[in-house]
Amino acid sequence: MKAYINGTGCISSQDTINDQWFFDVIAEPAGDYFNAIEPSYKEYIAPNLLRRMGRAIKMGVATANLAINQAGIKNVDAIITGTGLGCFEDSERFLLAMLNNDEQFLTPTSFIQSTHNTVGSQIALIMKCHDYNFTYVHRGFSFESTVQDSLMLFSEGKETVLVGGIEEHTPNYVILNRRAHKFKTYDPTVPFWKSTTKGIQMSEGAAFFVLNKHKTGKSLASIDGIQTLYKPKSAESILQKLGAFLKLHHLSLSDIDVCLMGFTSDVEFDNYLATLLPEIEKESVAAHFKHLSGEYHTSSAFALWTATKLIEKQRLPDALAISDKRPDSIKHVLIINQYLGINYSFTLVSQC
Amino acid sequence: MSQRIYITGLGMISAIGNNVPESLVSLSNSKTGIGKINYLTTRYKDDFLAGEIKLANKELADLVNDHDPKLNRNSYIAMLAAKEAVKHAGIDTADGLRTGVISSTTVAGMGKTELYYKELFEKDEHLDVLDTHDCGDSTERIADFLGNVDYVTTISTACSSAANAIMLGCRMIKNGLLDRAVVGGVDALSKFTFNGFNTLMILDKEWCKPFDENRKGLNLGEGAAFLVIEGEEALKQRNGKALAEIVGYANTNDAYHQTASSPEGYGAKLAIEQALTMSGLKPEDIDYINMHGTGTPNNDLSEGTATKAVFGDALPKFSSTKAFTGHTLAASASIEAVISVLSMQHSMIFPNLNFTTPIEGLGMVPETTLVHMPVNTVLSNSFGFGGNCSSLIFKKV
Amino acid sequence: MDALIEKLKGQIIEQLNLVELKPEEINPDSPLFGEGLGLDSIDALELIVLLEKHYGIKIEDPKDGKTIFQSLRTMAEYIKSQGKG
Repeated sequence: MKAYINGTGCISSQDTINDQWFFDVIAEPAGDYFNAIEPSYKEYIAPNLLRRMGRAIKMGVATANLAINQAGIKNVDAIITGTGLGCFEDSERFLLAMLNNDEQFLTPTSFIQSTHNTVGSQIALIMKCHDYNFTYVHRGFSFESTVQDSLMLFSEGKETVLVGGIEEHTPNYVILNRRAHKFKTYDPTVPFWKSTTKGIQMSEGAAFFVLNKHKTGKSLASIDGIQTLYKPKSAESILQKLGAFLKLHHLSLSDIDVCLMGFTSDVEFDNYLATLLPEIEKESVAAHFKHLSGEYHTSSAFALWTATKLIEKQRLPDALAISDKRPDSIKHVLIINQYLGINYSFTLVSQC
Repeated sequence: MSQRIYITGLGMISAIGNNVPESLVSLSNSKTGIGKINYLTTRYKDDFLAGEIKLANKELADLVNDHDPKLNRNSYIAMLAAKEAVKHAGIDTADGLRTGVISSTTVAGMGKTELYYKELFEKDEHLDVLDTHDCGDSTERIADFLGNVDYVTTISTACSSAANAIMLGCRMIKNGLLDRAVVGGVDALSKFTFNGFNTLMILDKEWCKPFDENRKGLNLGEGAAFLVIEGEEALKQRNGKALAEIVGYANTNDAYHQTASSPEGYGAKLAIEQALTMSGLKPEDIDYINMHGTGTPNNDLSEGTATKAVFGDALPKFSSTKAFTGHTLAASASIEAVISVLSMQHSMIFPNLNFTTPIEGLGMVPETTLVHMPVNTVLSNSFGFGGNCSSLIFKKV
Repeated sequence: MDALIEKLKGQIIEQLNLVELKPEEINPDSPLFGEGLGLDSIDALELIVLLEKHYGIKIEDPKDGKTIFQSLRTMAEYIKSQGKG
């Protein structure tokens, strides 16, 4: 079962909120992490709602709004969100208030906003959508699970599904992860796939997509299939599974015009992808995205937004490319993502 | 695509027992697991009651036989319940059939994070809570001890979470993506959650009274429960034994308010109706409803109104079992799924404890003592924050 | 009373994060809930916390909020009646 992407919205560490942006002016991380480039939310969200919302919710609702407007619709049959950490700002606010005030004078708003399905439920409230509403919270599968679910919903008779991935960090979260040596300062002189050190650049963002069962005049691209792999035992096994995945769609690696790979610059997490890279480069054109998006649980949502743009513009920008190789045209983009070297996924995105 | 889905294994740990047999003893003896708070550290320890699992973390570690210092209470109880379910089902994940693990949680690692969060800024000792804070951790622990797992994910939709995990498992099997799945939910008690519900002023300081006119709120609980569910083809292939069948399910959204349910229970009514439609059953075919019944003024009125609207004069026997276990949040729907299967297996309807007076205007009277009668079909409701409404329908095999 | 009302305006704006609102825009006799300021049940809980935090008044039953929080003036009158503010 395919899905057609009819609308997108993306807030990220790049100027993706600007619909003219196409990987020309590149924002670099502030050392070891990125902040999202955020719009004025008043444009997208009513003030009486805005006052309660943490950043994750604002990013989610704004990008959902953009996707829905681009698709030119008012209703959807399902809303599915993915987030690894949830509304962390509100969680932390409530947690610290609880710890600092010895469980007194606590305010319900941050507790309510901290629940992981707040973004999905807020969108449902605004759209008055009484239909299916799920939130996935599984690390580097959080966004993939939303897409997987939407494909099943189309088999089950739904027509239009809104899916999105959301993530936010807080200053404290950055500090703590830095103390735990999870990050390292971005070094533009060392290509991610050649990194010999541990550490990533943490980031945040939100990307929403209106998916349709049937192709319409608004369709930008199609998601032909998605597959997740949990703790694959070797690069070879990943390649094997990849071959089988593509075969299901009557394709092989040489049919893929761009392979968008989830390198993070962490030598341990990137190990299998680095092993696969020569094969990918041989058969296809390798590209990567996390030097622009940074890394977070739902960074694959940024990848899907990127894949959609590549198909729309029919060009692979230098900023994404891994070598001098460029595709003549872009009919198929394969996203090969990994998170912590544990959650792997393939997403096949095609011209439609 | 229309493959039938069977439940083949049950696992559960909560205030009423550390496993399914112990839970059945408590349920059939009307013995609540809610009482004074012993294990959770909170300034409100003496002011409220809760449904705690009667084991400290060290004892849980011994029971699950895993002393990895990174583990937290959520993971211990998730692993215990999942292991029990898998053993009960007798599945071998190396047999070539495709197995999924679909869990759910809201608390995740917060119970441990809240103990150490402030000191993390100065001391290194507990920085590993950063690795186990998120919702996926306990799910991956289950996947890791099972081995050979083809699909892993975690859902978090507040109090309907585990129902949605069960639903997703069914759908993945029906869509040909899996042959079977370990599905359910877990939530250990945490100070964070406790205080959160306290700020919403929906906790009862006494024993909760679901569906009673004088109900004041809920008692929090903790627990984990998992089911092994299998498609009929996989079950036949490995010669497994079905305990019950899942014949209907639905998820809808109330879209009324972030925490409160609509007065007419619109989302709840939709979920019940859609689950019934899917099952092919009529309201009068349902023998027992295991209600969400948290004991809050809002939920019980809303849920009661919705249930009455669907069932009218054909209202079957019903009860909320949350006065036994407390409200176990993400785990509640899977705990109540286990309870629903036990109800069918043992021909019992477990009582709605602490009830005396029906809600004015509704006139709905739950079962208040243990009932012995054949139970062939059960409707189980779970309604969560964010208007998330889920209903499951089980049938005896 | 007027001084308390002015103080409450600032506290409510802060507690409920009503960033777009200026104190002079709040009519002390307008309803706080429904129309008027258009607050909801979550805001009611926040106001209960406000009373405890700033005035040491503990409201045990959220239903009591209906009368106390009818308007800014009824809120101020309640605080005074408890010997605070």
